[in-house]
Amino acid sequence: MSSSPAASERSGAGQRWFLHPWLTVRVSIALGAIFVAAALPKVVDPPSFAHMIYNYRLIPAPFLNLMALLMPWIEMLAGVALILGIWRRTAALLVGALLSVFIVAIGINIGRDNAVNCGCFDLKSADKSQEELMGEMKFVVVRDVAMLVMVAQILAATRANRNLRGREDSLFGGEESS
Amino acid sequence: MINRRFFVEALTLVASAILCAVVANLVAARDRKVAWVGDYKNALTVPPRASSAGAAAVPKSASAPLESFPQLPVTTAPAAPGFNPILEPASRPAAAIVAPAAIAARPSTAAERTAPSPAKTFPPHPDRPFTEISGEDVALLFQRKATIFDARRSSVYAEGHIPGSRSFSVWEADIDDKVKDLLSEGLDPEAPVVIYCTGGHCEDSHMLAEKLYKIGFNGALVYKDGFPDWQKRGSPVETGMPK
Repeated sequence: MSSSPAASERSGAGQRWFLHPWLTVRVSIALGAIFVAAALPKVVDPPSFAHMIYNYRLIPAPFLNLMALLMPWIEMLAGVALILGIWRRTAALLVGALLSVFIVAIGINIGRDNAVNCGCFDLKSADKSQEELMGEMKFVVVRDVAMLVMVAQILAATRANRNLRGREDSLFGGEESS
Repeated sequence: MINRRFFVEALTLVASAILCAVVANLVAARDRKVAWVGDYKNALTVPPRASSAGAAAVPKSASAPLESFPQLPVTTAPAAPGFNPILEPASRPAAAIVAPAAIAARPSTAAERTAPSPAKTFPPHPDRPFTEISGEDVALLFQRKATIFDARRSSVYAEGHIPGSRSFSVWEADIDDKVKDLLSEGLDPEAPVVIYCTGGHCEDSHMLAEKLYKIGFNGALVYKDGFPDWQKRGSPVETGMPK
């Protein structure tokens, strides 16, 4: 029913706006910049990030440091790929996977009343009460869901673009950017 | 075809990330390195909230790195002043945790606690990794030139620490080597050693005490209120990077 011509016409304008390349470029750059900014302090100071991960009480000890070393670099490279428009679709999927992990990790700790510093952008512990931290965690979940919407925009736009161009799945000017 | 391409790209990105992480950790400065495999006893243990543990409300602590570590009662609990439900193994019965006489006899009011007895002793405790002590006890041990370990990050240590203390951050890669080296230094495993971090929720000093306990040190005394309390008391502070 929803694929009838009348329904398509009604949603056409909104869809065109949502999938417009102009928007996709800006969303990609913004999301990439956010991830690069988030990765930098973690890349520079893995011990502090390991401490932050430890506070979540979700990762078994043998994997904790490995995660602290690897995750920031995945964030960094996916962010750089998004900014440069290289492998945009793959980078967006990786970013989406990371965001999903963050949401689940914070959600679990909200559920069990374990207030933690997010460790998203700043690895220094702030002077905050349990209540303040819990409020902040809820905000972080909302923020991460908003970023997932950005990921969805990139994925939908690159998919639509690929369909339009047939075998060529680049977004702009036929360049290989997936 | 598309799926295959996606997997190749994703694998390339992840492989590049692994390569970057390996190289970065190899070339990192000593205080920025982590061990590849971590050893954190309570990595999966959620600390109970202070209120549910029946302890005092968690105060705001300017530099407490952990948010949810239970605030332990001030050194007035004579039964087991060093017992910590998170850090003590669950299988260990509470009755087995016996405080050394000197610690158990600690005065209960702030006024009484201002002047520690110079004859106070801190006997070894082979039945458990650590005992928590107050600022007065630390001041006494400081006067007696006891060995003091700072379990905070070495960058934080450089900003200010107890004079003569040694930087032993549990989050930095060289911690196990440093701990092992203590034996070759001839440090008496039965002698009291003070360990501190930032007090409050901070677990770093407890983690270091566990490491020392594993290699046979029975005299670890954790400064419960940590460095913020030391500063609050107006005690001397030294700055500079660890040797």
